[in-house]
Order: sequence, then C-alpha cells, then structure tokens
Amino acid sequence: MMGHAGRLDGAIIPAERGGKAYPATRRVSLAVVLLIALLCAAVIPPFVFLAYSSLHQLDPTGAFGALTFEHFSTIFRSRAFGSTLVNSVAYALGSALLALAIGAAQAWLAERTDAFLRQLLYVASIVSLGIPYVLYIVAWLLFLGKAGPLNALLLQLFGGTEPYINVYSLSGMIFIEGMLWSPLAFLLLSPVFRNSDASFEEAASICGAGLLSTLRHVTLRMARPALLALGLLVFIKASESFEVPALVGLPGSTIVLTSTIYQRLTLDMPPDIGSASAFGVLLLVIMAILLQIYNRVAAQTHRYQTVTGKGYRPRVIRLGRWRYAAGALIVAIPFIVVVVPLATILWAALLPFYEPLSVAAISKLGFGNFVQVLNSQSFRDSIANSLILGASAATVVTALAAIAGWCVARRVAGSRLLDLLATLPLVFPAIVLGLAFLELFVHGGTQIYGSLFSLVIVSVVAYIPYGLRYAQLGVIQIHPELEEAAAIAGAGHVGAFFRIALPLLVPAMISCWLFVFLLAVRAVSLMLLVVGPDSQVVAVALFDFWNNGQIGELAALGCVWTAIVTVFTVAFLIVARRYQLPIG
Amino acid sequence: MLQVESLTKVYSPRENGGGIRNIGFQVTAGEFYTLLGPSGCGKTTTLRAVAGLEVPTAGRMTLEGRTIFDSGKGIFMPANQRRLGMVFQSYAVWPHMTVFENTAFPLRMLRGKRWSELDIRQRVMRTLETMGLASFASRSAAQLSGGQQQRLSLARALVAEPRLLLLDEPLSNLDALLREQMRSELRRLQKEVGITTVYVTHDQSEALALSDRIAVMHDGRIAQIGTPHQIYLQPDNAFVATFVGRSNLLRGRLLGRDMQDAGVRIATDLGTVLCKSLNSAAASSPGAALIRPEHVVLTAIDGSGGSEINRFRGRVSQVAFLGEATECVVQIGKVDILVRSLAGQYDGSELVDVFFPPERTLAIAVD
Repeated sequence: MMGHAGRLDGAIIPAERGGKAYPATRRVSLAVVLLIALLCAAVIPPFVFLAYSSLHQLDPTGAFGALTFEHFSTIFRSRAFGSTLVNSVAYALGSALLALAIGAAQAWLAERTDAFLRQLLYVASIVSLGIPYVLYIVAWLLFLGKAGPLNALLLQLFGGTEPYINVYSLSGMIFIEGMLWSPLAFLLLSPVFRNSDASFEEAASICGAGLLSTLRHVTLRMARPALLALGLLVFIKASESFEVPALVGLPGSTIVLTSTIYQRLTLDMPPDIGSASAFGVLLLVIMAILLQIYNRVAAQTHRYQTVTGKGYRPRVIRLGRWRYAAGALIVAIPFIVVVVPLATILWAALLPFYEPLSVAAISKLGFGNFVQVLNSQSFRDSIANSLILGASAATVVTALAAIAGWCVARRVAGSRLLDLLATLPLVFPAIVLGLAFLELFVHGGTQIYGSLFSLVIVSVVAYIPYGLRYAQLGVIQIHPELEEAAAIAGAGHVGAFFRIALPLLVPAMISCWLFVFLLAVRAVSLMLLVVGPDSQVVAVALFDFWNNGQIGELAALGCVWTAIVTVFTVAFLIVARRYQLPIG
Repeated sequence: MLQVESLTKVYSPRENGGGIRNIGFQVTAGEFYTLLGPSGCGKTTTLRAVAGLEVPTAGRMTLEGRTIFDSGKGIFMPANQRRLGMVFQSYAVWPHMTVFENTAFPLRMLRGKRWSELDIRQRVMRTLETMGLASFASRSAAQLSGGQQQRLSLARALVAEPRLLLLDEPLSNLDALLREQMRSELRRLQKEVGITTVYVTHDQSEALALSDRIAVMHDGRIAQIGTPHQIYLQPDNAFVATFVGRSNLLRGRLLGRDMQDAGVRIATDLGTVLCKSLNSAAASSPGAALIRPEHVVLTAIDGSGGSEINRFRGRVSQVAFLGEATECVVQIGKVDILVRSLAGQYDGSELVDVFFPPERTLAIAVD
C-alpha cells in the first residue's frame, strides 16, 4: 500500500464557491518540527563539545585554549596505541565468538531438540539479565581470582605454588564479556531457530543427510545471516563496553580503547581531557563504520526469513541416546552462566569480611552486610535514585519514541531527518557519551552538573534510538488501513493518532518502557563521569565499592538490587512474549 | 453523483506501484459501479484517490456537484471531510474497540451536528441489526470471525449515511463459500439502502454478478466502460475479451466488409472467419476474431465437410467433464480452440466439426 503523504506541491489556495480552503499538500507538521528541534538540542551538543575539546588545548582551569591537533598526533605517535588497537579487536572478536557459540548451542537445544529441562535455559537467561554488569564481573573475578575456589581446587589437584589461572588477562576479559552476552545471544537466536521451517531440514534428511550434516549444511547455513548479524552486534557492544576493560583489563594492564579514555580522565594527574576526547572521537568513527556494516548485514537477514506461513511447523529433533548428554549440557550452561556467579556473590554478601570458600568460614556467615545496606541512608538513596532515573528516562523516551516512531514508520514529511537524529546517539559508546556530556555540563555553566536531572538527560539521549526502533516496530504491526479507516470515518490526523494508533501501540510502548528502564538502571559507564554526590545510583555505587575493596557491601547491595530488577525483567519478558515483540 | 475527470497519479520510481493516467468516469446516484482489473492496473489507486487517501498528481473530481479535488485550482478535500464510507481489504476493524464502538465512531466524528448518546445508540443498533451483528455489540472486535469483521466493517461504513460507499476488494479475504454468501448479501443491501457504490475487484465473476456498470482497467487506463452484458458480450478490445471470461482469440487481418452478412471478414490461421463488427473503430482495424467457448458449436462430421462459412474440421485433443458441462480442446491445424458444450460426450482424438456462428463471433481490436 502506498504511503498517503501528499506529493502535490502548492500552498493553500481558496476553494471555489467561497468554501473552505484545503491545503493541497501535507506540509511538515508543527509536531514534527518541534520534535526535530528537541532532538537537535539533545543530540548535537555532545558531538560538538567532544569534537571541540579534542581539537583545543585546555588550560588548567578547564577553559578552552588554542586550536591544536596535538591530541590526535600524540595518540598516533605513541607506541602503546598499536597494542591498544590489537587488544580491542582481539577482545571484541573473542567475546563475540564465545557469546555466539554458547548462545547458538543453547538456542538449538532449547528450540529444536527434545533434550531434558529445556525450560531451564530460559529461566537462567532471564535471571542473568537482571544482574548488574559490575556485580556479574565481580562474581567472576572472585571465583577465578588468585585466591578463588577454582585456583585453590587446581592447586590441590595438581600441586604447585603459583595459581593456574590469571583472570586479569585478555583471555579473562574475553571469557567474562562472552559470558555476559551469552544470555542475550540465546534469547535473540531462539526465535531464529524456532521460526525456521522444518521442511528444509526434512528435505535434507530425505536426501540422506544425518543429524550432524543436516545441522551443518542446512540449519546453521540458513541461520548464518542471523548469526553473522548477532555476532557483529556483540562485537560492537564489546568494542564499546567499559565495565570489563575497567575492572578486569586495567588491573592486568590489558588496555583497550574505552579503558584508555577512563585512564586519561581518572588515573592521569591532572586529567587529560583533550587526549580522552581525541580517543572518544576515534571510537565514534570506528562505531559509525561498524554500525554501517551491521545495518548492511542485518538488512540481509530478511532475505533468509524462513517462516513460510502455510504448513509451517518447527520440527523437534529426536536426540536419542544423546538426549542425556544434551541434558547435562543444559544443566551445565546455566550453572556456569548464572549459578556460579550468583553463589559467589551470595557467599561474599554473607561474610563480614571477604575470604575464599572454606569450611572454616561457614561459621562466620551472617546477614550483617544486608542489615548495614538496608539501614544506610546513602544506599537507600542510591536505590531510590536508580529507580527514579530509570522511570523518568523510560517515560520520556517512550513518549518521544511513540510520536517519532509513528512519523518514521508512516513516512510523514520530515521523518527522514527525524529518524537520522534519533538514531545518531547509537554511535556513542557509553563512556564517550558520558565524557561528552561531562564537558557539556562543565562548560555549559549550568547548575545541572551532578544532578539527577542531568543523568535523566544523558539516559534519554543514549536510549532514544532503542525507543525509536521499538515504536517503529510497533507501528509497522498496525495496518495503515486502520488509521485510514478513521480518516474516512471523519477523524483528523491528531484524532486518528490518539484514538486509533496510540491505543494499539500500548503493548509495544509498555515493552519499550521496561526495556529502557532496564538499560538505564544497569548503566555504569554512561553515568560514571556525570554522577554527583547527590545523584549516586546503584550501578555506579557497586563500581566504587569494588575500587574501594568493600566487597561485602557490594555483594549485599548487589543481591538486593538484582532482586528488584528481576521483577522488572520478568514483567518485560511477559509483555514482550504476550505481544510477540522481538526482544532487544 | 461522482465525476472523475482526467485523473492522473504518477509515482516516483522509488515507490513501486501502478500509477494511473487520464482516468475519467461518472457514477450516477444509486449505481453499483465496479473498477475491474488485474493487480497493478491502478484500480485501488483510483479508489484511494476518490477516498482522499491518495493525492492525485492531476485531474478533477466532484462529488454531488462539489469539487473535492482539482489540481488546477489546488483544491484537495481531506478524506475526513468527504463524508464517505469505505470497506478496506483488511476490513480495518479496530481491535481495541468493541463492535458497538467501532460502529459508533463515524457518528462521533460527524461535524456540525452533535449526536446525543441515545441517538448514537439507536442508530448503531439499527445498523448492527441490519448486519446481523446486534448480539455482538458489546464484544471486542478482535474476537469476530472473518465474515463478521467484514459485516462490521460494512456497518461502520454505512452508519453515518455517507454520500458514497467505497469497497476495496472486500470479499478477497473470505473463503469461497462465505464469499458467495456475502456477495449476494452485499448486492441486496446496496439495493435496499440505495447507496451509490464504487467497488474494486480483480474477480471478474464478482464484477459481473454485482455491478450495474463496470470500468475495466488495464495498465493505469480504462480499457472499457459498460454494463456487465456489454463487457462480456461486446468487448471493445482483446484485453477486455481475455480478462473477462474465457475466449478464443484468432489474430489475423481485415479482408473487407461483407455486404451480404453485414459483417467483416478476417483472415486467420484457420482461414477466413466472418465476424460481427460492433463499432466502427473495431471494424476499421480489427486485429482478431473473438468467440467465447460456450458459443462454439460442436457437431459430428457430416457430408458438407468444411465448405460452409466459419465451419472447420478438427480433432478433439483434450476432454474435461465438469459436471454441468463438458470442455474440450479441439485442434484445428496448429490452433487450439476451447469449446464448452452442455450436451454431448466426446472421446479423445475424435474428428469433429467446429462452427463459429457469425452473429456470436466478434471482430475486435488488438493493442
């Protein structure tokens, strides 16, 4: 069906018989103009400030000095830059492959086989989505660390004095980041396997292919575009990730691009904002290129969409005697991905002072940390701040996205610019966006630096692209004829939007709200540089605890917070599943 | 009632859709008017332009004497002010409203006159009763079956007594049995209400059964306008002849007017065929002789043996027994002729005589 935007040029010309004049064209409406202006005001300044500080000298008071290319030339001349780049690529690639392998194995087992306990995989993934990044990373650091239970076990088994595993290394980073992304990879891949038409596989087995060759030549081949797109997505996410590079990489001196920025700002004295901004600009360019490639690849996946509609039913593959082996794997994966880190955290939370797993320590277990966390005003404040931040950011993003998403999906005049503006923040790695806003708030001369309000602004800009995609998908599911029917029935554009489109968008919007909420309360790197003393949020508090060595408090607060967030995660998934919305 | 003059809609190459060129037609009050054509012929674009959902590139449209579109004067009345009723292909029943609220919506949107809740209630219930949906009034529209949604869509289109009812392939989403039911119901309803209707379909049997008049469209233009009889029995050109109903088309060239039979002779692959010529345009440059399968007369071979005009000898090559009739393909030389006969049983490979009655054989233009 054609779009119904007017294409006849011409201004308002009076109709004959002295009747009312009708505009012969649908001009750019006021709502679109306002929305574009608002987005410009929110999205453009961070770019400007980042680019400006990367190209200017900064005097000690923080004011801008003369124009200079020195920040960039220093980077390219430094010997460490090469190894930083190599580390970044190795780290992102390794984590993408690991997450993809674990996710795809889980998705195949859960969707296409009759293996035991398949539902366990879903439960585990959903729980893991609610665990804050920092908490998850810390759990692994405690588990795999020098004094951790795994090294202790290996030392007992094989003897020796030096620990066998050094988690503060590139492979440690890859392992933890890969683990972090594997649940999402699973949740995004399971519909791919679920929706693939069994007749393709049946055709292969008729041709004489066995289970493994069918899997290799048909199932995985047909899922390849989706696998490639997802792998690229995790690669991008890992390249811009900050938590693992900061918590795992920095102590072991495995430096990647994102951690360099943090290093320049917090570990150098005085902070080298110019150099950090130059790194930020470099990362922006890399992100822009990667996202372009991703969009190309993602567009390809539609060609392979395999749901045929008629006679479609997924086939469940009988594993036979492999069923028990698969069952063991199904128990093992969630055990590693969720149970081990959670148990480690719980252990840490129950001990007054952290010590490795031992029988002797069991007598010391108690709820002291929980009591302390729940009684402390600052902890309670940070929980409240996080909830307020998440809720406000989600509400603003959802409202903006509903209108913008409708305009973009219905291709009203001006929607291309709207789409571009609302998608632009995607190129910002969170730490770089935080840096850009830090400079904006500091130089803006405003009072909002460090306030909760400023965090809301940062989150809205960071998550508007996700909101837009959600709303757009929601609108696409609404047949345009439903709105045209309202026009025929006598409703104007505004009436049709509020009475028809908006009510039908509600499920997508609820799901969008919960998604943005979850993103906003988990964010560490986005907030790290802009939080102030009065706007401490849980995710950043956990990060600070680790750096201060307050493991008990960290673990206790983490447990409480995980429980709260899990409620929202479950609500999100119920809504998403009920209305068959894509996750992520 | 509705007057459409040289309506044109050009799409930019980006949008792949059939544009329309120079469409003109008139619909008189109370008429059931059908736009018939294959997909991509521009019939839906035309309907949407009448509805106001599409802004045409050029042309003029008046509804009840009032201009609703005029590219020259820059007039475009938006859809929501045209006071029309429309049934969409997808029905476009609003799933978040009840059956009652769906139907009441156009009344609540009426300008000028503010309806009381009581009046709305009465009017809606009356309309729903006509459609046999009264007992579903408080049900959510999402719970209705396909046929019920279709009737709800029609109720919504009719409730505010629109000036014009537009139907965009309303039967195409129904299964075969329901489609026939709805077809006769639609016709009965339209006559009862007496509402002027523009109907869009690609199904020629629907068009023939329902319409007062049909405009056959092809490639963004109107190929022929006429009553169902005219369209079927006197097609203007090869496109209409082959699109509406099945036909045997024998291409050839004009030999000349036949004074005795008041027809024209066309030289075809079979030999000379004597045809009736309906209009002067076709008579001046006929490209083909057309005969419908049911008008071909099939007889056992006799002594006269092909000497008579329009009589040819051939061999039955395929036979299909359809119950109410038998269809055969008769091979005459290299030409296959489709014959539909009510009586007679034929075996394969039988020799037969085929006769084209000249008064049933038409000379038509080929594009």
